[in-house]
Amino acid sequence: MRFAYPAGAEVYPEPGLSVAIGDGVTALVGENGAGKTTLTKLLIGLLRPRAGNVSVAGVDVAKMTVAAMARIVGYSFQNPDDQLFERTVKAEVSFGPRVLKRRLEDIERGVAWAIRECGLEGKEEVHPHDLGLSERKWVAIASALAGEPQVVVLDEPTLGQDYPARRRLRALVEELAEQQRTVLVVTHDMDFVGESCPTTVVLSHGTVRYAGSTAGAFADRAMVEEAGIEPPHVTRLARSLGLPECVSEADFRTAWKR
Amino acid sequence: MSDPALVFEGVSYAYAEAPREAVSDIAFSIGEGEWVGLTGPTNSGKSTLCLLAIGLAPHFFGGRLKGRVVAFGRDSRSVSVIERSSEVGLLFQNPFTQVSGARERVDEEVAFGPECHGVQRVEIDARVAEAMEVVGISHLAARHPFDLSGGQLQRLALAGLLAMRPKLLLLDEPTSQLDPAGTAAIFEVLARLHTRGTTIVMVEHRLETLCELCPRVIAMASGRVIADGTPADVFNRELVQQRVGMPVYTRIARDAHVSSPLPVTLADATRSFGRPVA
Repeated sequence: MRFAYPAGAEVYPEPGLSVAIGDGVTALVGENGAGKTTLTKLLIGLLRPRAGNVSVAGVDVAKMTVAAMARIVGYSFQNPDDQLFERTVKAEVSFGPRVLKRRLEDIERGVAWAIRECGLEGKEEVHPHDLGLSERKWVAIASALAGEPQVVVLDEPTLGQDYPARRRLRALVEELAEQQRTVLVVTHDMDFVGESCPTTVVLSHGTVRYAGSTAGAFADRAMVEEAGIEPPHVTRLARSLGLPECVSEADFRTAWKR
Repeated sequence: MSDPALVFEGVSYAYAEAPREAVSDIAFSIGEGEWVGLTGPTNSGKSTLCLLAIGLAPHFFGGRLKGRVVAFGRDSRSVSVIERSSEVGLLFQNPFTQVSGARERVDEEVAFGPECHGVQRVEIDARVAEAMEVVGISHLAARHPFDLSGGQLQRLALAGLLAMRPKLLLLDEPTSQLDPAGTAAIFEVLARLHTRGTTIVMVEHRLETLCELCPRVIAMASGRVIADGTPADVFNRELVQQRVGMPVYTRIARDAHVSSPLPVTLADATRSFGRPVA
């Protein structure tokens, strides 16, 4: 797949980007400008490739409108203010399924579920702009979930989130994976990647440097350094103590007990 | 003795029409040249403290202020935000908020603050060149601010502040949009400014980063200061661990029953785990 912004250089240089993203939770990582957000926008047809093709859940994105893709992919933007415009949290969260003309009972169920999962109960009637940045982020995530999409894309979900919110986010992506949904998380938060994303795709200058298990990604130290990412904090501690490689706190506990 | 950079004396503040105070009974003093990390859960009052320090609260936001907020000896009530902004700079959480929208080139945007303060042209040009160089955006000088990526915009916002040459820098999550290389670059900039005597107050959620960088940490919860001290002091308190959380190193050391005090940095943790388990 090839893509260039108007008057811009190719985002994915010759021979173009090829990558397959499977079920469960996948992290998409890489330095600023590596092509992460562009990739997610190509997934929902918000951007169209110059060459090659993109298919999501067996559907050729080129044949679909953005609205039709929105039935398949729920998307939460990096900056919630690019996404939010309704007057209440509930109106915002239900906007997608309403315009997609889902059945009323489906809307009710999806919205209630999304609001619960995102910890927004009791805030349904609040104006999104009366909420802090991290809560607006949760409104954006709830909006992505409300249509109960097969594929969920979260762009920098942990940005500005405190520890309890990050724990909630971990529980959320685990639940989405249990429900057999595909979750793609764009992030710089490597602790989150190590704890919650079994699979990792590393982009660097528009090419896939690695696609596979998260443990395997961080074990490849040369690749990690070249791609401008950092290993999780537990990985660093385990190395500094000469323990076996770890990417999560659970890994560390096991390694330390031995 | 010169005046401290920033003093909060029994400060409580409620936004206009807000039923509750956003912050209550805040008291601390930050000396010139200190580097202080400010942390706490969402809505604990961190951003409000920043707005109070620069005077946007109450000058712009209205609301009810009790107590005194004093920067370099001057009470925020008696100084306009414009006047204070020559001494105190605030980097907003969302860099998009910071950009004036009135300038079509990155270098002109960086010049906007000093222009508003009537700084001489030659001086402005020198400051702009230096500020862009320091944050690494010189190559973007001719670009439109709104064509930049999130990370680039965050650097632009910081450059605009640096061009004002503030003595006290308040940074509300200065690297939230940046990758590790960009983050490291910004922290290097801050370290250099700190060496030159700039006082830094930095809001940071990433507790590992906070503990590596800041010799002093103020932890907040529900609008109050719940701890103020060295990172090791602050994150060894149970109340802070419960309300704010703790660095990864501290948590795994606690779970592994490593002898206290619990470590807060990688170097500490390596030492702690190197000792026999208690």
